[in-house]
Amino acid sequence: MTFLDFQALSPLLALTATILVVLMIIAYNRNHKVVCTTTVIGLFITLATIPCVIGIDPVQVTQLLVIDRFALLLITLIALVTIAVSLLAYDYFDGNSGRPEEFYLLLMLSALGGMVLVSSTHFASFLLGLELLSISLYALISYPIKGLIPLEAAVKYLILSGVASATLLMGAALLYAGLGTLSFEQLGSGFYPEQATVQAYIVIGSALLLTGLAFKLSLVPFHMWTPDVYEGAPAPVTAFVATVSKGAIFALMVRFFVLTGAFEYQSILVGLSVFAIGSMLAGNLLALMQNNVKRMLAYSSIAHIGYLLVAFISGGITGGMALALEASIFFLVAYIVTTLGAFGIVTILSNSDESRDCDALENYTGLFWRRPALAGAFSIILFSLAGIPLTAGFIGKFYIIAAGVKGTLWLLIATLVVGSGIGIYYYLRVIYTMTLKSTSTEPIRIPVASGWVMLLVTATILTLGVYPTPFIDMLGDLAKSLT
Amino acid sequence: MNDLLWIVPILPLLGFLIQYVSAGKLPKLWVSCIGAGSVGLAAIIVALIGIEYLQQTDPVAYTVTLYTWMDVGGFKPGFSFYLDGLSLTMMFVITGVGFLIHLYSTLFMFDDESYARFFAYMNLFVSAMLVLVLADNLLLLYLGWEGVGLCSYLLIGFWHTDAANGLAARKAFVVTRVGDTAMALGLFLLFAHLGTLDIQPMMKLAGETWQTGDTIPTIACLLILGGAVGKSAQLPLQTWLPDAMAGPTPVSALIHAATMVTAGVYLIARTHDLFLLAPAAQMTVALVGLITLIMAACTALTQTDIKRILAYSTISQIGYMFLALGVGAWSAGIFHLMTHAFFKALLFLGAGAVIYSLHHEHDIFKMGGLRTKLPVPFWSFLIGSAALAGFPFITSGFYSKDEILLQAWAYGDMGPWLWAGGAFGALLTAIYSFRLVFIVFFGETRTEPSAPAGWAMAVPLVVLCGLAIVGGWFHVPVDAVFPEASPVRHGGTVFWVTAAIPVLGILIAWMIFLRKSIDVTPLTDSAVGRLVTRFWFSHWAMDWLYDLVLVRPYRWIAAINKDDAVDYVYNGTASLAQFLHRLIGTSQTGQLRWYAATMAAGLVLVIAILMEFI
Amino acid sequence: MNEASSSLIPLVIYFISVIGLVALVMCLSWVVGGRIKRRPATGEPFESGIVSVGTAQVPITVEFYMIAMFFVIFDLETVFIFAWAVAFEELGWPGYAAMVVFVVILVLALIYEWKSGALDWGIKTRTGLERK
Repeated sequence: MTFLDFQALSPLLALTATILVVLMIIAYNRNHKVVCTTTVIGLFITLATIPCVIGIDPVQVTQLLVIDRFALLLITLIALVTIAVSLLAYDYFDGNSGRPEEFYLLLMLSALGGMVLVSSTHFASFLLGLELLSISLYALISYPIKGLIPLEAAVKYLILSGVASATLLMGAALLYAGLGTLSFEQLGSGFYPEQATVQAYIVIGSALLLTGLAFKLSLVPFHMWTPDVYEGAPAPVTAFVATVSKGAIFALMVRFFVLTGAFEYQSILVGLSVFAIGSMLAGNLLALMQNNVKRMLAYSSIAHIGYLLVAFISGGITGGMALALEASIFFLVAYIVTTLGAFGIVTILSNSDESRDCDALENYTGLFWRRPALAGAFSIILFSLAGIPLTAGFIGKFYIIAAGVKGTLWLLIATLVVGSGIGIYYYLRVIYTMTLKSTSTEPIRIPVASGWVMLLVTATILTLGVYPTPFIDMLGDLAKSLT
Repeated sequence: MNDLLWIVPILPLLGFLIQYVSAGKLPKLWVSCIGAGSVGLAAIIVALIGIEYLQQTDPVAYTVTLYTWMDVGGFKPGFSFYLDGLSLTMMFVITGVGFLIHLYSTLFMFDDESYARFFAYMNLFVSAMLVLVLADNLLLLYLGWEGVGLCSYLLIGFWHTDAANGLAARKAFVVTRVGDTAMALGLFLLFAHLGTLDIQPMMKLAGETWQTGDTIPTIACLLILGGAVGKSAQLPLQTWLPDAMAGPTPVSALIHAATMVTAGVYLIARTHDLFLLAPAAQMTVALVGLITLIMAACTALTQTDIKRILAYSTISQIGYMFLALGVGAWSAGIFHLMTHAFFKALLFLGAGAVIYSLHHEHDIFKMGGLRTKLPVPFWSFLIGSAALAGFPFITSGFYSKDEILLQAWAYGDMGPWLWAGGAFGALLTAIYSFRLVFIVFFGETRTEPSAPAGWAMAVPLVVLCGLAIVGGWFHVPVDAVFPEASPVRHGGTVFWVTAAIPVLGILIAWMIFLRKSIDVTPLTDSAVGRLVTRFWFSHWAMDWLYDLVLVRPYRWIAAINKDDAVDYVYNGTASLAQFLHRLIGTSQTGQLRWYAATMAAGLVLVIAILMEFI
Repeated sequence: MNEASSSLIPLVIYFISVIGLVALVMCLSWVVGGRIKRRPATGEPFESGIVSVGTAQVPITVEFYMIAMFFVIFDLETVFIFAWAVAFEELGWPGYAAMVVFVVILVLALIYEWKSGALDWGIKTRTGLERK
């Protein structure tokens, strides 16, 4: 470990220090506002360290972590999402019963896990990050003490996620048995062995690994937990699970595939294609008649990760890697921003003291007349999810189709088109509900911090949709540097 | 000044946004200032840009890229504006004439309760029209094209409480849509074959890719022509324009006379490289123009509604522009576009002033003797009609029309025939335009006018009068844009005949309608004459024909197909999706052991897939 | 069909035969097995004739679990310290620094636990839980 290494790790170190500081603050002065403010300041410090690192990248810190621009982009994204979730959660918990302070602690630990994941190049750091992320999530999901639904969600997630982690570990073990290393880069050099036995190790190991990843990304057929957990978890946590958790895992997957060259395995691509088709179809079909907004968004997130895979798979075509990565990352960012916004709306309308979050579709009746700004923001977000032009979602989807066409993945593209067609129905249904005559006259309060978060999220969605070129250029360079 | 180009369309757009967002809550004075001011400011900037551009010894066209929307896999649509002589001329017309009409509207529309809405739409229209002429790629051009179509729809149906206006708006929208569809197909065809959306590279590529007379450019040109005839109200899609007069008069002046209806002319001029590759298509353009101009002129002769006369005259004059484009007289066509914008806006605004003073009276036979009572409209009409008729040497219309007819004469074997048709049209033009003047402004007073309108309406009329006279001495700066036209001989029999025709027409009109020395009653009252008059009055029965051939069969089919067989497909798809939703939905039991079991089963499946496809 | 996929066939046969066997056993036990008549006492636990009282799931005070968890956590931490002690010479000062950081974090966690009342016995003596 040299000084350079520490410099490269400074975002992670800054966040760790913030966690310890917040820990002490909670111990000595339990105050919701102070804790939340410190958390947000700490995350901004984390962001402030990133410019210091950009100059020196990429740095391989031991065998475990690499800090390059890809990792930095995702670290930035995770930090920003965590700030947004903290602010949303502040208004969600503020003034209510219970002790909300440890929420921020767990949130930051989870974010730290995500940051480790996106920069890991080794199974050890991979599992470390994954477990840090997941274990904090178990507690976060059941955080509010309000009835049994969050608890049920947390137990389901705990057990199933444990199974997935075990599968993943077994996969790593098989790869180690076959090739004798746990570093992704070294795995890559031996990924195409002559002997059939070793090949079998690799294939079965990869299958187990993919299963674990697919669970975390909630791909069909490992998606069953998603709606239950999304529905049960408090809305800000759902926002976090749907964005940071999935984004970090996907980034890890990109890293693994690029470094090991697993793209070259036809069978792995076929496996991913099955996931993608299943997710696009099942996700959209399951969301179709859904009357619970959180469950609907859960299914839509299943479908979205399916779309994401289409771009990812096109990386397996010769020479298509750069475009595939560019498209995947753009779509991922668009997905994260949009999903954050969607759950942000749910969070604003909900309150930790109520026994359920505001997730029934009928709660949204007449929102346009009661809170036009909120309903307008939600409409933009839903348009983005549906992929209507001038939103981030459209550019993302266009990108994916461009990558898919270049890779001549016609079956996948056809499924994508069918899936998107089904999708438009249930997104527009929410907007339709919002325009109906209001049944309730109860005033809706938009808290200040959450209001700003939503404003920024909506502005980002529109900016990415109207003027994406600077971001696209940046991604282009990034994708080239990765391959 | 290059940097200022992008501001030109943005200014009216801002005006639109302010008025749209304020939703009519602004005071009327503010609305006037913003509405007319934004266009006026745009006109000043255009003037600055124009001066700088034309001061160069050898003006070079340039592109200003505002930004590129996205750059994905070679698809690279951008907001880029292209400035050359052609777009500059169009900008002059749009912002200059547009500003005068906006100024005029501040008084004309002042009493309307939807005053702000009117200016919002007008500003949006100006903005869209500017985008249309400045667009450097076909996507942006299409945006502007649809934008002006939308504004046209909104403004024709501006007084939407009257159902007839709504129907007229719908008719305009649907008929132009037919053309737009053809045009979109043409653009797709070009993009598919040339792989670019940018107009200039596309024209260059077209020349390199295809030989003159190839099939694909011909088809593409005919499809683009389809769009152009829809927008510019030419045969066979001209039926919407007379009905479009249901909108307020300034709208008719701006959209349905000066600017939007000439978009088709602009489009063909912009893609002239393509039309040069397709002589057959170009010939079609000339014939469409010729037939339309004669048909419309005949109809104008029989109409009694002051605005409908002007509408048919617009159709007829655009026919001249098409004729010009068809015979390769590109700059003459654009020249006529400009002069026409001046004198036709003048005529419409003059008509508006008359209508305003006569309490919304449209029938010319209820007017009369207005010469002394409404001097400003009278002089406007006199000058405007003289320019429209092409009165030799002192009006702008003469120079542009003369240019077109002479170039038509010089156009190969077909030339004399085309010239003869055009000259016949010019004769009719002179007759119907002075029929209008003589009936409305001379003779006995039939309706007593109220006081003449204020300065805000008078000033634009005076300025346009000036332009209608001196406009002919402007030189349209499009020499660099188009290939050189065949030189025209000024002098000689053809020239003098061409020049004499309008005078002859005016004389005839004078004898029939003012001196009454020729009595045409026996002619029009005879059985054949009545039939012809009715036939012409209904614009060659085209509405009747379309009703018979298109509308009725369509309604008949719709009546038979009440349940819509096609809908079964869509309803079926929806039912299928619902069924699948329920089917898959049963898997979401909420039971942990079932979830774990599916995970295990999924794992087996994944291993099997990976082993199978290794 | 290549080597790997042909080796799949035994797996499939195995899979089917496992399911078949389980199904067979369950069917057999249903067919062959005895029938129990349900009486009021059928569901009662057998307590040598004495009627059982209360539930088997007695709630245990949460502090027991807390102490158990702390034991596991600190026990695991000693494992790391042992590992460091074994390689003390080789790791030198960098190892020492790393261990200091580790222990400091542990101490901070301990302070947090202490202050938030996790080490106190009984709900009443807890401090720090009341919002200020």
